[in-house]
Amino acid sequence: MSSRDIPYNFTAINEEALEKLKETGHADIIIGIPSYNNAKSIGRVIKAAELGLAKYFPSLKGLIIISEGGNIEETQRAVNALTDKHYFENAFIPRPENETGILVAKYLGPSGKGTAVKAILEAGKFLGFRAGCMLDADLRSISPEWIEMLIAPVALKNFGFVTPYYSRHKYDGTITNMIAYPMTCALYGRRVRQPIGGDFGFSPELAESLLAKDVWESDIARFGIDIWMTTTAICENFRICQSFLGAKLHDDKDPGKDLSPMFRQVVGTIFSLMESYEGKWLQVKGSRPTAIFGFESEAAPKPIEVDPENLINKFKDSLPLCMTVLKEVLSPENLQKVEEIAGMDHALFELPEEIWIKSLFDFAIAYTKSPGGLGPDDVIEALVPLYYAKVASFVRKTINLDSHQAEEIINQQRYIFEKLKPYLAERWGLDHKRGVTG
Amino acid sequence: MKKKILVVDDEKNMRLLFQEELTDEGYDVILADRGETALRMIREERPDLVTLDIKMPGEDGLSVLRKIREIEYDLPVIICSAYSVYKSDFSAVAADHYVVKSSNFDELKSKIREILSY
Repeated sequence: MSSRDIPYNFTAINEEALEKLKETGHADIIIGIPSYNNAKSIGRVIKAAELGLAKYFPSLKGLIIISEGGNIEETQRAVNALTDKHYFENAFIPRPENETGILVAKYLGPSGKGTAVKAILEAGKFLGFRAGCMLDADLRSISPEWIEMLIAPVALKNFGFVTPYYSRHKYDGTITNMIAYPMTCALYGRRVRQPIGGDFGFSPELAESLLAKDVWESDIARFGIDIWMTTTAICENFRICQSFLGAKLHDDKDPGKDLSPMFRQVVGTIFSLMESYEGKWLQVKGSRPTAIFGFESEAAPKPIEVDPENLINKFKDSLPLCMTVLKEVLSPENLQKVEEIAGMDHALFELPEEIWIKSLFDFAIAYTKSPGGLGPDDVIEALVPLYYAKVASFVRKTINLDSHQAEEIINQQRYIFEKLKPYLAERWGLDHKRGVTG
Repeated sequence: MKKKILVVDDEKNMRLLFQEELTDEGYDVILADRGETALRMIREERPDLVTLDIKMPGEDGLSVLRKIREIEYDLPVIICSAYSVYKSDFSAVAADHYVVKSSNFDELKSKIREILSY
């Protein structure tokens, strides 16, 4: 009996979309685009997806699924504007005999990217797909080659999960570089450089495994969907690889000026998952590399300006406001060192790696164990000043380095995370024991 | 049981030097002079770790590394190259570690011990 024969309650797909899926019957490849009012940019992503399917997988039947959480009429209008398909001729790509279908559907359930993803996975399950990928709806740098790079490892090489490998400026993706990447390596032992990239390839087996998880009503799937998918794929032993996609263009973000809710969502999800996969990460030592495909272009990513002085000021200004929480969260040694650092002159200011990493580990424990009745949001809020200090220190250390040299620094940090993991395991164990025995 | 290390290098003297140094460390060392031979030996001899040169006739080391990751997803690989320039090639991230060849084998030995302890 195939997975399609097992009764499954499709909860994120609406009736109308389900009827359209029945008409489609089957698709070999699905390309999912979770969207929230991205009508202005989604046309480019759809065109690249159509061209990529036609160029690299002309004999396979594909379906593009736009899972919309906002204004569906606007998105549908953006799709309708693509009907003349002149872009095939412009790109010298023959139009396939069986044109790729495009389904625009409003998902059902809690609002958020997680539910949009769930609807896409459910649609894929219904259609019995062989390989799929997700693309962000606001991509500006996507090309048809992205489809090949995300789909081919699944369709041709039997990988279960394909993560993106972007060419990024050294100050782009600071949450990834300072937290998500080194934490994923240290905790789960797999070096996935962009664990929260947003553009992924996936197999039907992984989709099945994700759909079976009881998280779809929680914040994990709602906000931290990317890191949740990566962590689940690693912990459930799916074969993971990375595909080089070139630069990823999006709006510039100075971490001191615009610390988006993403920080709270991603970091909170990383910490929450430590409880779910405690049995896994406590066993892991060191980290292993991940296969990589593609062709690296030398095109330099757009530079991003970060003002370390602004970050240091923010650290110094916000630290006193968090002191009550920090006293509960940090070990006495780390607390003392953080207070000393707060008193340093701007010229000498630095948050050393070891203090940052041990403090982050203290926060991970506090998030899951709630010392002194602290809520998860209180804990993450108090981490923000330290994150500012860490980014400022990184910027100062790498200001004269090129991207390759900065990458070496990031990997040295990753190695220190792994070396200090016994500190986390020991404190985690003690805290858990304390919780059990009261 | 002794851990088995496959040394892949096109230079005979280098292969023999690796063999001597790693045998002294207590490893069982097997040798390959090119990528194609290495891929066959990985399937047949099941080594615990591979040291891989990059500049070799025929298939280069980075291409061999990509193929190793397809057939033996978790096999530890340390790139040992005379050139540091390949370290920044994105393909090299699929290796566990990158060592620039020198007469001092301490870094290589230490990394092998570390990786085989995981």
